Amino acid sequence: MALLYGLIWRLLLALVRIKRATVSWLRVRLRTWKGRFWQRTMAALLLPVPASEFKQKAGANQSSDGDGDGDGKGAGSRRSRWLSDGISLEKLPVHIGLVVAEEELSYTDIANMVVWCMAVGVSYVSVYDHHGIFQKNNSWLQEEIVRQQHNLLGGDDSTFNMELLKNGTDKPQHFVVSCRPIVKVLSPEDGKHSIVQAARKLCHSVEKKEWSSKDISVSMLDVLLRESKNIPDPELVVKFGPVNSTLGFLPWHIRLTEFVSLPSHKNVSYEDLFGSLQHYSACHQRLGQ
Amino acid sequence: PQCSANHCFSPELGWQLTAGPMPKHVAFIMDGNRRFARKKKLERHDGHMQGFNKLAETLRWCKHLNIPEVTVYAFSIENFKRSKEEVDGLLDLARQKFERLLEEQENLEKHGVCIRVLGDLNMLPLDLQQVIAKAVVMTKNHNKCFLNVCFAYTSRYEITNAVREMAWGVEQGLIKASDVSEALLSECLYSSNSPNPDLLIRTSGEVRLSDFLLWQKARELHREEQALQQLEADCACIAEHLQHQGNGKPADAQRRQEALQHYTVAREERVQDFLQALKHKRDTFFTNLC
Repeated sequence: MALLYGLIWRLLLALVRIKRATVSWLRVRLRTWKGRFWQRTMAALLLPVPASEFKQKAGANQSSDGDGDGDGKGAGSRRSRWLSDGISLEKLPVHIGLVVAEEELSYTDIANMVVWCMAVGVSYVSVYDHHGIFQKNNSWLQEEIVRQQHNLLGGDDSTFNMELLKNGTDKPQHFVVSCRPIVKVLSPEDGKHSIVQAARKLCHSVEKKEWSSKDISVSMLDVLLRESKNIPDPELVVKFGPVNSTLGFLPWHIRLTEFVSLPSHKNVSYEDLFGSLQHYSACHQRLGQ
Repeated sequence: PQCSANHCFSPELGWQLTAGPMPKHVAFIMDGNRRFARKKKLERHDGHMQGFNKLAETLRWCKHLNIPEVTVYAFSIENFKRSKEEVDGLLDLARQKFERLLEEQENLEKHGVCIRVLGDLNMLPLDLQQVIAKAVVMTKNHNKCFLNVCFAYTSRYEITNAVREMAWGVEQGLIKASDVSEALLSECLYSSNSPNPDLLIRTSGEVRLSDFLLWQKARELHREEQALQQLEADCACIAEHLQHQGNGKPADAQRRQEALQHYTVAREERVQDFLQALKHKRDTFFTNLC
């Protein structure tokens, strides 16, 4: 069953990528067409946002990102702007990891970044610190994210109805049935500890003569790791703080992850985050070839 | 790989650098040879050759700076996806360089250079495996500085191989599945003889790890955390055992303490015997190839 869910998850990811590639292709072809009309048409045809919500009033004053004025017009235009920023990128990561390598944590700033990530179209955001403090205060962070979602995106949160996954085992259904953005809070336990647990399981199977040691392969270990915690590989990690280390963040999953370092997560701006997304969009991975 | 920094390494600079804290183990991802070749309008093979020359120079700098251990990512398992011509060219280059190393036996002994090659060497042509094995066996007792060459390597393969080795230990009756721990997995990696790298340098400007030393670069549990985790695991094992023995009646504190001590000593002995057997298996692999 786990294999089936894994296959369906990979198929959904592939469909998201095909859709993004199609949007890029159309953008290039329609570049000569002027005006917002074609942008709106593309967005209405290809994006999951209701066309009526995609409003770009000419000359409208766009309120700045950090404002929590909660004003309907400001929130609507901010959401539109962030969404079109996401569309403008050649590629967008499916999973962004926000790794905080600082001792003092700011829940509001992390919550802002989570909301911005989802507003530009990222479907999976993970938050990590190497002491596991965010995970211990998971509910506090969740409340802050919901609060910032209202502040920044307005009262109508039907578009960004996110799933805030709790600690422990993820039910596979979350990834098959739900198309809502997902926020996951991670700690070092999700790293090496998870690999060790999977290793122990495999060794138990060998002890019981269900498998031979020669049967153990990379894909077998990969499937086992994703059975209990189906975390997609992060394409981009934004690391905050002066320490140049991954600090134990998902060692198995980060083999091809792009790393962008920012000095601090405190008072981080939308432009800082978008700059990281632009860096990711511009990078070219050869995958060994 | 080529830079105008040939002249920028001076003894004065080295002296200044070594006045402060120095890494004991530096890892390099050698990237960008083909882009360099394109930029300089060279053949790809020349790009790789120049990349190797620059690596050799870098190793000399590390020696000058008294950095005792260097790990280089020379060839990834993913690189087998390249064209046959390029893969054969890279394997030929490796063959040449390892054969050249064998001619430098006196020099390597004089400087105490130990060469280790980490990876799934079974994926390589037999003659290359043999020349690699000769270089490894020839230098295995040297202990002044260490060069680890990752060849036919990815971190996921390395971690999986470590799990496979532990499973082999279970199959042989040397260890139990409950003995599997973070510390034991680390001991089963190809790089088990090396400390974790302090610094990772990737040439060419890319900012990803590309499946290199993922376990080793991750945060290591502090000794106290390791000891606590191991203690919890041992307690869980003996609790199950005692419950089974006592037919569901709880054992008294003294009996639990004695059982825990006895279990811990037995587990540590098992693990040491297994690690000895694993070392012997690995040494035999290389000596059989020579």
